[in-house]
Amino acid sequence: MQRINEHRRTQLLNLMTERGWDSILLYGNAWRKDPFRSLVNINFSGDHALARLSRSGDVTVTFSDPWDAETASAALQADFAKAFAGGAAAVAGLEFMEERFVAACGTLPVSATTEVEELRRVKTAEEIGYIRQACDLADRGYQRFVEVAEPGMREFELVAEVEAFLKENGAEDNFMLIASGGIEVVGMKPPTDRKLQKGDSITTELTPQVNGYYAQICRTLVLGEPSPDQLKAFEIFSEAQCAAQDLIKPGVTAADAARAQNDVFRKYGYGEYTGAKYTRVRGHCLGLYPDETPHILEDVDYVLKKDMVVIAHPNTYLPLSGYMVFGDVLLITETGNTRLNKTEKKLFTK
Amino acid sequence: MKRGLITWDKVELPPSVFEARLARARKALAAQDLPALLVYSDVWRSNEGRHLTNYMPYWNRSLIVIPREQPPVLLCGLSPRVYPWIKSVTVFEEIRPASKLVPTLLQLCTERGWTKLGVLDLPRLPHEIYAPQKASGVEASDVQFDLTDDAEIAMHRRAEQMAQEILTAELPRGAGLTDYQFSGLLERAFRRAGAEDLVLLFSTGDSAPRPACGTMLGDKYSVAVALEYRGHWARVRRGLPL
Repeated sequence: MQRINEHRRTQLLNLMTERGWDSILLYGNAWRKDPFRSLVNINFSGDHALARLSRSGDVTVTFSDPWDAETASAALQADFAKAFAGGAAAVAGLEFMEERFVAACGTLPVSATTEVEELRRVKTAEEIGYIRQACDLADRGYQRFVEVAEPGMREFELVAEVEAFLKENGAEDNFMLIASGGIEVVGMKPPTDRKLQKGDSITTELTPQVNGYYAQICRTLVLGEPSPDQLKAFEIFSEAQCAAQDLIKPGVTAADAARAQNDVFRKYGYGEYTGAKYTRVRGHCLGLYPDETPHILEDVDYVLKKDMVVIAHPNTYLPLSGYMVFGDVLLITETGNTRLNKTEKKLFTK
Repeated sequence: MKRGLITWDKVELPPSVFEARLARARKALAAQDLPALLVYSDVWRSNEGRHLTNYMPYWNRSLIVIPREQPPVLLCGLSPRVYPWIKSVTVFEEIRPASKLVPTLLQLCTERGWTKLGVLDLPRLPHEIYAPQKASGVEASDVQFDLTDDAEIAMHRRAEQMAQEILTAELPRGAGLTDYQFSGLLERAFRRAGAEDLVLLFSTGDSAPRPACGTMLGDKYSVAVALEYRGHWARVRRGLPL
């Protein structure tokens, strides 16, 4: 079997010893491939995949799709419930499993999802390498976004161009949201058939995936000359993002990183726009899932560690500008962090 | 993940189509004397919910509740900021924020006095929803009914036609490209034509079709396209030489 994350296998075996588990399953489905790929990094295209790790360290892999099984030289189980026969002590991804799979385990396993997610948060050098590649692609993808966006183009056509570019350049997948317009825009969503207009503020987050690992970039582009209010808004977003970037290092909490951003908005009288009515999170971790926890929120006391990868993005609605986004990926180092995106930190105009 | 055009063309799929589908769901509920139907929906498993309401979660999970006597309700993991857009492309008039799906569902059951529910395809409910729902005391029963109708078949035909036409036209252009490069070319063509989602697999004859991995496509290769057009999937495979 190829593409076993040896570091993860060792971590999981230690976890099994600590918990007294004789086996652990890592389940992935078409949406949540990440628990499976955290041990066996195969980009399966069928509905389900399962890895079983025994106390001896052996890994057996089963797919529901014959093409996945053939490509990976692994077992095929078209009736995927049968892959769970014999059960296991613990399952990472138990929450996403269809109940018929859980029933097929016999005895209800415990969930190992939280423990495995904690193991995944601190990245290996190899994982950081993939995220660097994904960041580079996010930067180039945003460059493409700016190059092709023009008045008269429909949102979904712009997304098609960026998607094509990312795939041409090796992205496995990409999570992307977009919005265009003025102060009436309160959030991003999938592309519509709205035509871009001069004066529009176009927000996007690109999240390309390379070898399983996601990176992200958030930027705002104004078609034409930005208004004084758009420029003023961007200065607030920029200051907020910088506040997080200046602060984040091992020992700082997710709450600290969120508060640093929100305090900038408060300083300028826009504190109400840091709440759930106008925004979601002030950032999150990245890895095999594009929205890994911990989220950067003022009520999350998780202590950040070296080699975690987070994006700090103070994205929110402001009455000055409508919804605006701005964020970069940060690799936490021994004493601070390194910004992995290279795209200029500015309000883009065209 | 969904990143194409998600919309509701009411000429292509008139509201009466959804009214008929909801009526079929309600008939199945009546046959089992159940007050409401629960339909699970996430970014990948969205087709049943889409069939009944035209709702597709581009991200996150949702529960669709179809009461026997009242309009459907969406329990939504997405931000209320996108509810106006959701309402513009679905049949929903009522959307409730539900960062925690099951508690929001149980609250709705309490409000409406429901002590039992029908669940479309109950054994396939994710464990995270099944387990607390079962523990709540609200009895859940599996409900099955035919989700096929003429409109559904027509949409799948449209998706298949799009997949066939674009793939046949673009297929020769892959010769001499890597599968990455050809992926880009196909993504552009399909998404500009309105595809919501796309899964592309390639084979040069020495392996089963698999996702692009940088392989050079020579003069003999095949491409399998799974295309989602407005919630309706079609799968087409074509090879060179034709």
